[in-house]
Amino acid sequence: MIRFILSFITLSLLVSSCCTNPPEDEVDFNDLFVNIADNIIVPRYAELQTELDELQESLNLYDGSVLSLELLQNQFKVTYHTWQKVSVFEFGPAAEYSALLRSNCNTFPTNSFKIEENINSTEYNLEFPSNYEAKGFPALDYLLFHTNNIDLHIEIENRRAYLNDCILDMQDRVDAVLIAWDSYRATFIGAVGNDQNSSLSLLFNQYLYDYEKLKRDKFALPAGFATQFGIPVNADASLVEAPYSKLSFDLMLTNLASLESIYLGISEDGIDGVGLFEKLKEYNAQSTVVDGDLAEAIKEQFSICKSAISSFENDLAYEISTDVVALQNASSELQKMVPMLKNDMRSYLSVTVTQTDSDGD
Amino acid sequence: MSWFHSDTSIAPLVVFRIIFGLMMFVSTLRFWLKGWIETLFIQPTNFFHYYGFEWVKPLGEIGMYTVFVFLLISSLFIALGLFYRWATIVYFLLFTYVELIDSTNYLNHYYFISLVAFLLCLLPAHRSLSVDVWIKSSLKLDRIPNWIMGLLKFQLGIVYFFAGIAKLNYDWLFKAMPMSIWLQAKAHWPIVGSFFTEQWLAYSFSWMGCVFDLSIVFLLLSKKWRFPAYIVLVLFHVITGIMFPIGMFPWIMILATLIFFPSEFHQKIIIFIQSILKLKNRRSVVSNSLFLHGFKKKLLLTFLALYVFFQLVLPFRCLLYPDQLFWTEQGYRFSWRVMLMEKAGTAFFYVTDSKTGNRGEVDNSQFLTATQEKMMATQPDLILQYAHIIKREVESRGLEDPIINAEVYVTLNGARSKLFIDPKINLAVVDDSFEHKDWILEN
Repeated sequence: MIRFILSFITLSLLVSSCCTNPPEDEVDFNDLFVNIADNIIVPRYAELQTELDELQESLNLYDGSVLSLELLQNQFKVTYHTWQKVSVFEFGPAAEYSALLRSNCNTFPTNSFKIEENINSTEYNLEFPSNYEAKGFPALDYLLFHTNNIDLHIEIENRRAYLNDCILDMQDRVDAVLIAWDSYRATFIGAVGNDQNSSLSLLFNQYLYDYEKLKRDKFALPAGFATQFGIPVNADASLVEAPYSKLSFDLMLTNLASLESIYLGISEDGIDGVGLFEKLKEYNAQSTVVDGDLAEAIKEQFSICKSAISSFENDLAYEISTDVVALQNASSELQKMVPMLKNDMRSYLSVTVTQTDSDGD
Repeated sequence: MSWFHSDTSIAPLVVFRIIFGLMMFVSTLRFWLKGWIETLFIQPTNFFHYYGFEWVKPLGEIGMYTVFVFLLISSLFIALGLFYRWATIVYFLLFTYVELIDSTNYLNHYYFISLVAFLLCLLPAHRSLSVDVWIKSSLKLDRIPNWIMGLLKFQLGIVYFFAGIAKLNYDWLFKAMPMSIWLQAKAHWPIVGSFFTEQWLAYSFSWMGCVFDLSIVFLLLSKKWRFPAYIVLVLFHVITGIMFPIGMFPWIMILATLIFFPSEFHQKIIIFIQSILKLKNRRSVVSNSLFLHGFKKKLLLTFLALYVFFQLVLPFRCLLYPDQLFWTEQGYRFSWRVMLMEKAGTAFFYVTDSKTGNRGEVDNSQFLTATQEKMMATQPDLILQYAHIIKREVESRGLEDPIINAEVYVTLNGARSKLFIDPKINLAVVDDSFEHKDWILEN
């Protein structure tokens, strides 16, 4: 009997050890990963690459005329919008130390003193993390919009080199990320399951992070609805994204819409493929926050948030001093999305917060 | 009473010691290799304490790794029976210390291990087949009092029995909740997955789990049913081990429950180990078994009686609180409530400057790790502790008398999320205690 019991235990241990990583999700999320990689992530990076090249070109073509300045400014706006569509993909190539796109391309508020200091000294190294706040789109926003066009005309010529370096820095990084996606694509599609390094987990966590950044950094913090290390902040118009070009709400909208299209699985060509929406439908996921279907509830909340943001006529910096009530309403709509994503969607997708053991709750 | 005064072979206790030591070694190593020392004890900037244990603090990187080195060494020493008394004391103290650092890490099975390690400090599990006996042969014992094995069986038994009692609730039995949710989540498994959406399966699992937990100890105690019951137990733990992220717990229980088998079984294991290691069987120098007399005996028996009483009563302390236990979690821990509910929450905290009236939402990621945030969001005492963490942080930055409110939404067993605590209450001025927290809203 002892042999029987011992061999029985051994057998069960063996059986379970080969089953502890059951081949779940393998088939399930493949279509989602393929759609998101091929039809959303890579095309969006390619678009950003193209727009950055155009931006570089616009700077080269800048000749001191009003028209060329406007072209440069407009191209900046277009490119900044394109950035809003890729900020969420800060995993894999974009999260490599050599890329770190989020910090390098969009650390705001920018530090105008540091920018001026860099320009005057001409001895700066944009690779240094200390220059995060003096480069990227926020720095360009300052350089291209901080004063009236007449003054900019005189300035830009002197600052061409710095502008050029800022654009070049982003070009290099985005080029590298796009190339890296060639080989990372297979990794991304192959990393099944739901542990911390699975694609589902990376994608979901960055998705949530990007949303929370939007909600807090782009909105609640400048509007004075947030805290900094627990201390309630005052409304501060200087904290908004793109304060000089006054694009704050426009960029937020693009950011929101790009998160929405990932959710719905809509490709850059406008084709509706498999997104998180379809997966939640497959699970027949029910919302615990509002009545009924979770997939529809999140879709609906995206619409509500977008229309709340687009209802403002001016940029956030202006609205802070004029219509706090409307801002509060928009803020609470952005808030309502959080439990739907953070609790409901997470639990249906079985993305674990961390991989420690549990004994249930 | 004759059972209590008679004795039994030491073999089961010795086998239990070896199994426990080895399992703890593997568990500790696994914990280390998973990187959890870093993520649970070094990375967090704030920690959640147990009531009365506010003074327990992590030791920093070098300190924590040193603690784990000692855990590894002492668990091996326990298995070997080397400096056994010291090894068990060190293991018990360090393991319990590690568990006390952050209550968001609470697991029933860690509590179980602390208790067993504590009991092993008192029991003579090293007095056969051990290095200690090899060094000092006069230590060798063949027989031990019956109550020693009885105590260990009791300790194991209550884990199952109370887990069974906890399952006697309406949701578990008559709504198959949260079993339905858990099975649903595995619906895409190959072959078996399609059954997981079936309600009858969820009900069967729920009822079988409950009956299993309530009856298994009694079946293991009966000679007739022991063997089939053990087979069922292994299957039960293997299945739950595959389905749920419960780590080492199933394997520890599968091996630990071997103590229910008769001493002949353990004797064979010992002979088996001796034949592998080519050890000679030493004759016991002391022919008599271990019996205490007089004051020592009274002291020990009184203590153990209290221990048993305390173990039996503690899980029922939840009855002292009003409202639903699963919702309020008052008296929930240390009661063998394992895999009972599916609870999740989102907690928004707000700080108001009482002078300016400025109010802002707290960015929880500035103070807590993702795991801590998740655990905190469903447990009122941790919500209160977090409010106090925020209070401490803002006061250290010069904001006096902050008003701290929490807007917490909790979903229990798949029901609609509800507001969990009174969002108007200023948690900064609420003190934690064992009294009922009347600011928890009704489910």
